[in-house]
Parts: sequence; C-alpha cells; structure tokens
Amino acid sequence: MKSALKILAFCLSMGTVSGALLVGINAWTSVRINKYEEMQLKSSVLDALEIPYAENNVIDVFKANVNVIEKDKRTIYKGKDDAVAFEFKGSGVWGEIYGIISLNPDLVTIRNVKIIHQEETPGLGSRIADKEYLNLFKDKLIFPELVFVPAGKAKEDNEVDIITGATYSSKALEKILNRSISDFMELMKQ
Amino acid sequence: MAEGKDIKQSNWFKVLTMGMWADHPTFCMVLGICSALAITNRMDNALAMSAGVTFCLVFSSLFVSLLRNVIPARVRMLAYMTIIATLVICTDRFLKAFFPPISKAMGPYVGLIITNCIIMGRAEAFAIKNKTWLSVLDAFGCGVGYSFILILMALVREPMGFGTLLGQRIMPQTWSNWVIFTIAPGAFFLLGVYIWILRTLAKKTE
Amino acid sequence: MNSSNPLIIFLASIFTHNIALVYILGMCPFIVISKNFKSAVGMGMAIMFVVTLTAMINWAVYWLLLVPLHAEIITYLIFIIVIAATVQLLEMIIERFFPPLQSSFGIFLPLITVNCIVLAVSLFMVLRDYSFVQIVTFSAGTSAGWALAIILVSAIKEKLSLISDIPSGLRGPGITMIIIGIIALAFMGFAGIVSL
Repeated sequence: MKSALKILAFCLSMGTVSGALLVGINAWTSVRINKYEEMQLKSSVLDALEIPYAENNVIDVFKANVNVIEKDKRTIYKGKDDAVAFEFKGSGVWGEIYGIISLNPDLVTIRNVKIIHQEETPGLGSRIADKEYLNLFKDKLIFPELVFVPAGKAKEDNEVDIITGATYSSKALEKILNRSISDFMELMKQ
Repeated sequence: MAEGKDIKQSNWFKVLTMGMWADHPTFCMVLGICSALAITNRMDNALAMSAGVTFCLVFSSLFVSLLRNVIPARVRMLAYMTIIATLVICTDRFLKAFFPPISKAMGPYVGLIITNCIIMGRAEAFAIKNKTWLSVLDAFGCGVGYSFILILMALVREPMGFGTLLGQRIMPQTWSNWVIFTIAPGAFFLLGVYIWILRTLAKKTE
Repeated sequence: MNSSNPLIIFLASIFTHNIALVYILGMCPFIVISKNFKSAVGMGMAIMFVVTLTAMINWAVYWLLLVPLHAEIITYLIFIIVIAATVQLLEMIIERFFPPLQSSFGIFLPLITVNCIVLAVSLFMVLRDYSFVQIVTFSAGTSAGWALAIILVSAIKEKLSLISDIPSGLRGPGITMIIIGIIALAFMGFAGIVSL
C-alpha cells in the first residue's frame, strides 16, 4: 500500500512539474513565436507577390502594398498590380505543409509558390521547399488542375516535375495546391 | 591517496570511451536505428541530429541520475519518457523563440529525438544506477559514438546519392546519382554492411 | 477535417505508407524480436491491440480534453502518460484474469511502451486531423503493417539461418538490416495502388 502511494505521489509530482515547465515555457515564448510567425507570413506574401522589401520594414511594406481581403473565413492578399496570393495548408508525409501561392493578374497562371513550413524527410521531401524546385512553378497554368509528372517529363503548361525519391511528398503538395486553388476559385465565383 | 586518485581517473576515462567503441549504442546494443536510417541522407542533417541527440542524451542522463534515488522502480520507463519529452519540447520552444533558423533546421528531428531509443536505453542501463558525473560522461561518450555512425553513413549516402557533400558538389559531372542511397532501402543496406565491417573489426581487436 | 476515405487509409498504412518500411519507425524491436517467428507473431498481435486501443483513447483525450482547454502544449506528455498507463493496466489485467495469455502476449507489453510507433500513431492523428473512424482504421492499419513487416523479416531470417552460412560479422543485426532493405524495396512496388 505504501509503495503504491509512493508511486502515485511521484507520478503526480512529476506530472505537475513537467506540465508546469511546459506551460511556463509556452507562455514565456509565445509572444516572440507569434511575432516571428507573423513576420514569416508577411514576408512570404511579399515574396510571392514579388514586392521588394528590406529585413526591417516587412510590416510597413506589407501594410502599404498588400490589400488583405477576408471572405468566408479565408484570407486573400491582393497586390497593387492585382496579383493575388493565398495560403495553402495540408498534411504532407510527416507533418503539415504550409505556404503561399500567388497568381498573376490573369488568375490562371502561377506567379510564385513559397513554402513557409514543412516537415518532410530532410534531403528528399524537404526539397519541395528549395528555390530551384519552386522556380519550376513559375508561369504554370492552373487549369484544369496542376498535374505532377515523373521528373523530366513535364511538357504541358500545367505539368510540374515530381522530385525523384520523394513521390509522396510531391503528390501531397499537388493535392494541397489543387485543393487550395479550387477553394479560391469557389470564393471568386461568389 | 595518490592511488585512489589514479583509480578514479581511469574510471571516468573508461566510462567516457566505452560509449564510443566497446559499448557502442548502434553496433553492440542496436539502439537508435530509426534516426540513423532516416536522416543520414545528407551530411548537414546528420550533423544537426548528432548535436541534438548528444545534447538531449547528456541532459536527460543528468536529470535521471540526479533523481535516481527518487524514481520508484515500477515507473522508471514513464519517468524517463517524461523527462526526455519535457526536455526536448522545452528546448524546441526555446529555440523557436530565440533562434528560429536553428529551430527550422531541427524541426522534423524533434519528434525523432524524443522517441530515440538510445536516450532511454542509456538512462535505464547507466544513469539510473550511477553517480551524476559518470552518467554525464557516459551519455556524452554514447552521443559521440552515435554521431560517429551518423557521419559515417552520411559520408557514403550524400556523395553517392546526391553527388554532393555538405552541399558542395564533389563527384565528377559524369556521375549519375545512385538514388537508392537517398531512400530507406539504401540506408538499410548500408547500415547492414557497416555493422558487418565494424563487428568483424571489433571482434578482431578484442 | 481530413477528407481521406478510412478504408483507403487502412490499405495505405499497410502497403504504401508502411510505418516500418517507409517511415522507418519502430525499428528497435525488429532486431531483437525478429529472431524467432513465433515471438514475432506474438509481438505483432500485441502491438496491434495496444496501438489501436491507445490511439482511440488518445483521440478522445485530445479532442475532448486538451483542445477545449487550449492545452495543446502538453500533448506529448499526456499521450506518453496515457500509453504507459494503458500498458500497465493491460499487464495487470492479463496477470490477474488471463494467465495463459501471459507468455504469448504479456511479456511483450513492457517493450511496447517504448516502441516509437505507439506514440507516432497518436502524433500523426493530431497532425493529420483524423476523425474517430479514420483513427481506428489508421491505427489498425499501421500496426498491422508493422506486424506484417516484422513477421516477414523473422520468417525470412529463420529460413535463411537454416539453409545458408551467414558470415559471423553479419549474423544478427547485419543480416536483419539487409533483409529489411530488400523487403522495403519490394514494398515500393505497391506505390500507386491506393491514392492517399
């Protein structure tokens, strides 16, 4: 009986100490982390819309050049030249893939794709966030939908290469992009 | 008095170097395989993971050893997992807030480090029964030994699979990438061969 | 909410997204347990039961307790506690009410607490926003896939040790790694049978 109580007491105190530590660290760091994430989002939108900025004036440049439209709980970022950008989010192979996609004013070709957060296999799936890979998306057609094809075989205007050895991550990105594009199109129709 | 000091000195050195060869976590006790296979496809990942695991090994062994007389026997495993998880998550949040670029690089590893068998294995095999200083040394030794195998793996996988090392191209232009080394099966084969070579060598040197 | 069909999730987690052969998780017991076919089968069954049960409990704890209280930061901690507690409870139940199961099931339980995949399944559930039905098929499929992998490897190893002369340095972990590598390659052939 005594040992059972001892175990219980230990578990409770260990649980409380750990819990308290985690909650404490969370509270201490959340302000900084939220600020950093806001900066990440805004600078990615600016990158996607190809609006130049410097490290220290991200927030100001964003405020001056981007029009934030909230519709149906979704956010659309519109640049002064009528290019639009919006978020895409979804699950990849390991974790969430989150980024910004921007369309040219014609609303059928891609201007840029930027990945803000991904947790794919380092060296393989994580290459979806590499600049060289994301450059492949420039000026691609989004109609009828983006199609990812085996590396080197992309011919049509709406086809993009898969990363060799990272098929699942590439396919996940394809699904996420297409879904967010069709959501955006739905919003536009309204 | 001098004799006592001598014995102590050789003791800690033995403890430190055991983790690096004779008692190596991966070859001898076959621990920590998951991460040795998953992230060694590039050298920079291997280095980052080595640093992360060594850091967590040292501090979790430290805490387990400090608490060794308080943890009841029945809930040892739970205690280890709690200490390790809390340590890793706090470190991750701290990095996210104050050193975001490092946190971004280490992002996917955080989960892998928590479940890394080596950390728990060392806590169970050593830290729970030994003095703090020795436990820390043992943890550091194992961390170094583990880093050794990660680097060895990446040294083959990155050049043959990507043609680069630490991002710099080192293979001739005519080299066609052995993609198998960038994915899981290649890692398994390579580790099998390494275990073969190193186990044979170790038996020979014993 | 995740829109994937639960049945597709089930098939994918066994074949195309096998947690041992594609995600390389839960590898540590492979080396030890796969020595013997019977123990591999026993471990596989035990894992399937524990993973599915703890996944369901963790789903309930996460969505009915942690999220409403905005306490997501302690998710890892709570999951670990739930897993350890469930396994401990199972051990006690088997000891008390089902002694015959002890040797075929009970001895694996302590190993399961520290197995990466139990925690991994619960964490993937959070990451991918699975509903209850999805988590049942996901956890059942994932653990079945792991069991399948370990049973295959142990069967091949047993046969191999009977008919061939494995070099001494390669025996044990070395040859296990190579066998797993070949099976992982083989499973890559399943890619594309279901689209997740």
